[in-house]
Amino acid sequence: MATKKKRIPNMQNDSWVVIAADSAIETQKQDSDPAFVRLRNPVTDAASLYMLRSGDVQLFEVKAFEEDFHSWFVGQTVQRDGRLLFVTPMDPLYLMLPYLVKAGKEGKFQPVDQVVMDEDFPACSRLLSCTRSLSSLHHIAEEKEVGGLKFHRYSQEKTMNWLKKKVERMDTVLKARNISVGEGVKSTTYIRVKSESDYHPEDYLRYAHGMISEYLSEDLSKALLKHLQLPELTSPKEPEPPSKKRKLSELPVEAEEDYTKFNSADFARKPPKKMTSAQKSLAKVDKTGMKSMSSFFSPKVKAEKK
Amino acid sequence: MSCNSSVTWVNVSSVGQAQRVQLHLLPCEIEHNGPAQVSQYLTATIKDCKLEKTVSFRGRGLKGQELICPQGYTGLVLKETNKPGSDQEDRTVKVASVFDKLIYWNLETPPNSDDTVVMAMDWPDLAEAIHGPVED
Amino acid sequence: MDLSPFESDNSVSCRLVSEIPDVCRTEDCCLGIDEAGRGPVLGPMVYGICFCPVSKKQELKDSKVADSKTLSEVERENLFQKIDESKSYIGWALQILSPNTISTSMLQRTKYNLNALSHDTAIDLVQYALDSGVQLKEVFVDTVGPADKYEVKLSKRFPGIDVTVRPKADSLFPIVSAASICAKVARDRVVKGWNFSEDMGDVETDYGSGYPSDPKTKAWLLKYLEPVFGYPQFVRFSWSTAQTLMDSKGVTVHWDDDEEDGEKGAQRQNNKSMLAYFSASAGGKDQKSTHQTHRFFSDRRLKSLDTL
Repeated sequence: MATKKKRIPNMQNDSWVVIAADSAIETQKQDSDPAFVRLRNPVTDAASLYMLRSGDVQLFEVKAFEEDFHSWFVGQTVQRDGRLLFVTPMDPLYLMLPYLVKAGKEGKFQPVDQVVMDEDFPACSRLLSCTRSLSSLHHIAEEKEVGGLKFHRYSQEKTMNWLKKKVERMDTVLKARNISVGEGVKSTTYIRVKSESDYHPEDYLRYAHGMISEYLSEDLSKALLKHLQLPELTSPKEPEPPSKKRKLSELPVEAEEDYTKFNSADFARKPPKKMTSAQKSLAKVDKTGMKSMSSFFSPKVKAEKK
Repeated sequence: MSCNSSVTWVNVSSVGQAQRVQLHLLPCEIEHNGPAQVSQYLTATIKDCKLEKTVSFRGRGLKGQELICPQGYTGLVLKETNKPGSDQEDRTVKVASVFDKLIYWNLETPPNSDDTVVMAMDWPDLAEAIHGPVED
Repeated sequence: MDLSPFESDNSVSCRLVSEIPDVCRTEDCCLGIDEAGRGPVLGPMVYGICFCPVSKKQELKDSKVADSKTLSEVERENLFQKIDESKSYIGWALQILSPNTISTSMLQRTKYNLNALSHDTAIDLVQYALDSGVQLKEVFVDTVGPADKYEVKLSKRFPGIDVTVRPKADSLFPIVSAASICAKVARDRVVKGWNFSEDMGDVETDYGSGYPSDPKTKAWLLKYLEPVFGYPQFVRFSWSTAQTLMDSKGVTVHWDDDEEDGEKGAQRQNNKSMLAYFSASAGGKDQKSTHQTHRFFSDRRLKSLDTL
């Protein structure tokens, strides 16, 4: 077999495969071209890509289905970038929440246009022009009107009630769609439990909370958990990376020597110049199913080996 | 990282002229952007069986199936024809083609409902549950 | 020899058979196995069996069937004609392994090498003869690999049958020569009349012998290299000749099971697992974020982007 080539990074990407909500691309309205903008992601506090369309202003979220080793054939062309982008309608309140929470710490009523602004993300103030924003602000803030002007102040209580409704709706949808809320993909056996009866009602609620938390700061996520009367999991299960399906051809390799050393970070960085064939085959084995990544970092591994 | 104030406009008026195209999602990375004889080599050799489609690519057996875009959604292929010189400038992409279904291919594995791309198609419906307006 | 069952779909493997002579169901028979087209980078590999009553061995010898490789194409066609005319006591069966079958088997995730493929095909054909009621007593097999091991394997698989595996068996045992002729004739005809399922317009049919060393074959492979797809299914992608040409003149394609040497493999394994481990959304550029993407999203390989 010929030697495999190194992957050269894709520098000339100029096309994208997208599945977009029809509301994002309606052409009836004048002057309402949508645009991809960067806004502050409430979870990471860093930039994420969203879409805003002007005119009847609407916010959309952009998510990419991305898996290694994929490309597209689009008609009679190859598109190396194998991602599939989803553009889905988004509730602008999630993006406004962090600004209101922050301003709420001062405890006073303020005009929202002075609250929802961000030097780093100029497009942020456009969130207020979203048709849905002003009419739904009361879900997360108290309102006061003085001399025809509206003032708002963040309300944790209102927010919690609003989020609870979201979680409950999510809960219903998860059950209706029979989404697997168990531990998901079991590393190698790849068996998914799908029967609804196998799950505890709390599993769904927790799962729904987890999904909504993709849009909430850690503090809000915790507060919501409490509000839902779900106990915080003290020692969350060790997160495992989704492991690849094991290759049958690489099934058990007889270890002729102590192979635990190959699991050390040292080995991953600097393998010995010359390896025995047994070592080579070991190096090829997908170890993700054998040892969790955390063992790379754990100082215990070395100690245990003695 | 590019500047946060620049935006990328999507020229949606181009949707009307956009051609409907056939899309295939392949289980490999092809280090190429550009033309290829897809209909001559791929489409012409696809075998339609009851539960799956089969074809070969570069001597490897692929099994695939058709996936339909979720209801209320349209497939678009966006293309950027003129890249701006700096990341401070706004960019524009146009809708080069549209699609309402695609074919995804697995390497040797028969397509099934646990395939990640099939599961990813759940997203629009669940996004609606997360983002749809809440009644008072 | 009616090739139409194979020609209707030349991407898959196909079995062609003669009628079973009545006498083969009542008398003790010998059976020969040989293959044609193992080495070429183009076209199918054909496995053939021929069988006849042991009592007819002399008759077969007198008909001067000899190793098909030492014969010209015309001579082979004539000899096949003779075999066909002797259908009252000679039967045959062929397994055509399409080049696509060979490519996809050899390049499979769990590699299925040509030797295993050959052995399994031979075994299937012998089993076919037994299932058809042929009274098999002796089996002669031509092999390119180690004969002893293969002989033990076949003897175990078919107890009560006397199995002889020999290199160059086609020049030693007339029944193997006959099998060789059937296989070679089928392979030649298939290659000559290859029906490209790809939409390639008029394809030059001057392939040469199909062996990678043949300049004509090489020239054909150069001419018909498509940068993205490589070749039509007529070509065996698993042959290093084809691989090398695609590597040097085609577009590079990466698969998730590409082989990498230990160092790179270990490194990539490490990088990949680390990414999956942290799998922060929004490009993961934010150091202070310890956010773990919810498994709904990670199971579906969905993530946020920070730029288009």
